[in-house]
Amino acid sequence: MKTLRITKSAFKSLGRNKLRTFLMMIGVIIGIIALTMVVSAGLGARQKVMERVRKFGLDSLMIRAGGGQTMGVQSSGQPTATLKLEDAEAIKREIREVADISPQLHRPQMEVKYSDKSTTTMVLGAMPSFATVWDWGAAKGDFISDEDVANVARVCVIGPTIQKDLFSGANSIGEMIRVGNVQFEIKGILVAKGTSPSGGDMDNRVMIPMTTMMRRVANIDYITNIKIRLKTAKDMDKAVGSIQALLRERHQISPGVPDDFSISTPTEVTETAEKVAGTFNLFLILVAGISLIAGGVVVSNLMLISVGERRNEIGLRKAVGARKNDITFQFLIEATAVTLTGGIIGIALGVAGSKILEAVTKTPMDVSWEIVVLGAVFSSLVGLIAGIQPARRAASIQPIEALKA
Amino acid sequence: MNDFIVQAQGIQKIYNPEKTSEVAAVRDVSLDIRKGEFVGIMGASGSGKSTVMNILGCLDRPTSGTVLLDGMEVSSLPDDELAKVRNKLIGFVFQSFNLLPRTTALENVELPLVYSERSNIGRLARMALEAVGLHQRDHHYPGELSGGEQQRVAIARALVNEPEIIFADEPTGNLDSRSSYEVIALFQKLNRQGKTIVLVTHDPDIAEHARRIIRISDGRVVEDRVNENPKNAEEELRKLPDKEAKE
Repeated sequence: MKTLRITKSAFKSLGRNKLRTFLMMIGVIIGIIALTMVVSAGLGARQKVMERVRKFGLDSLMIRAGGGQTMGVQSSGQPTATLKLEDAEAIKREIREVADISPQLHRPQMEVKYSDKSTTTMVLGAMPSFATVWDWGAAKGDFISDEDVANVARVCVIGPTIQKDLFSGANSIGEMIRVGNVQFEIKGILVAKGTSPSGGDMDNRVMIPMTTMMRRVANIDYITNIKIRLKTAKDMDKAVGSIQALLRERHQISPGVPDDFSISTPTEVTETAEKVAGTFNLFLILVAGISLIAGGVVVSNLMLISVGERRNEIGLRKAVGARKNDITFQFLIEATAVTLTGGIIGIALGVAGSKILEAVTKTPMDVSWEIVVLGAVFSSLVGLIAGIQPARRAASIQPIEALKA
Repeated sequence: MNDFIVQAQGIQKIYNPEKTSEVAAVRDVSLDIRKGEFVGIMGASGSGKSTVMNILGCLDRPTSGTVLLDGMEVSSLPDDELAKVRNKLIGFVFQSFNLLPRTTALENVELPLVYSERSNIGRLARMALEAVGLHQRDHHYPGELSGGEQQRVAIARALVNEPEIIFADEPTGNLDSRSSYEVIALFQKLNRQGKTIVLVTHDPDIAEHARRIIRISDGRVVEDRVNENPKNAEEELRKLPDKEAKE
């Protein structure tokens, strides 16, 4: 009852000096905005990685030509000629855990022409198994067939972006396009996949039979990567070990010499991404923390000034029966109420800011209820800590001193 | 039952003790006040009368001597115990009213109740405002009230906890004569209803309304007499010309 009444008194005091109350809030508002947005960005980045892994498939792994970095970062400078189509066939033949494989050879930037229109796209040589391993086939027409591969056929399957850019949406199946110096007949249009988690357009591609890619377009006898789907995700570690041993044997790599290929697995991708995101988040949370501390210092100082200005009020409260704890409690409530309110405003602005940032920069931001709780707890804590010194000073004021106006 | 509300024995108040600049505000004061008395404490500025009141009212502690309030020794109580005594036993009225600014009359009157264990504080505060004749002003802010009205709000605040004794330190010091008499009349009425009133003033005319007058000079009691024929503030009010402008 008494607690409630003192709490009410505290809120009334805040209402009586709105400018001071607002000034006290600003630092906390900014700190909490920063905290909210940082955490949203962190969670967003994490979700992005998870989505990537999920789309890639938990039962899948990727072998890339060239050693070194395992996580997506390829040394794209010098072409690595070590990975062969025969390696892929050997893996499928000899590793029991493997369900299917999709060897690929891609060229990132090639010009594609249709009559007077042209565009730049990724050209990818693939086997028919691509459709099952990637779970990605033709939406219209047909995907690359075994006959196409055997005949080194000049057929292609195009992504919806190409369909839109070169044909403005008109029917393109049966039309001829030129890739490099070779004419291809369009036999199908890929299922639309939209934007990849890393922001690339997955629908901007032309797919041709692997054999055609090797012999007619790229004119090389090696491939860039192999995606492998296992029978079950549980066998991942075992399969990775077997594949590594097999490839080392086939490539005649002596013990102690590093691999000339790299294998990335979903867990590996997740772990590395989390590590990177963790360091980044720690840094940003530090920044948000510092701004919160600065906000707390402002609250503390303004509260101290306020205690000085309100000596008379404090003296009177004591004269009519307020005990030390009553005064301490009132000032702590005032400080906490200010920072919590600032925190709530900060959360609201931070969430709005996150949404705007997400819309403008396409960076995924994940705003969750944890952020709201985190913001509320942190801002209250700042007030509580910032209020301690002013509250103590207020409580130590003697009524007789304060009433000598 | 204890007949005395205040029993003070040999109280001294020395500032800066053990230093060369030591100042004795109260040298040696002993006095008893019975329940239901109306005591005027008189003295010039600097005589020590306010210090005496502060000590009796538990706002300050004596350097030496004992103070019993309603039979309880209070001069050595810790701060929080003193706060409790002030809250339950004592009402204060100050020269400069000491109302909280930007706070309604009602909320100002509620203030002592905030720190009590009582419930229904709004109703009690309204009753106190009614007792001082200001029940229609309960939602006014101090800035919207005249000096006399503000002091009556302060008296309502002193009354609201139903204390045994009210200490008033120069309550008319900032008021014109009409408001002063109104305030004194209110004290006289409260005293008739049984409240013990201790009124500190330097104004002999105001002091003459008390039924007992104690004169303090240089930190000592120099006179303590019964006022056989106290002035009646109601009558003084009637004698004032009607047209006297209110604040």
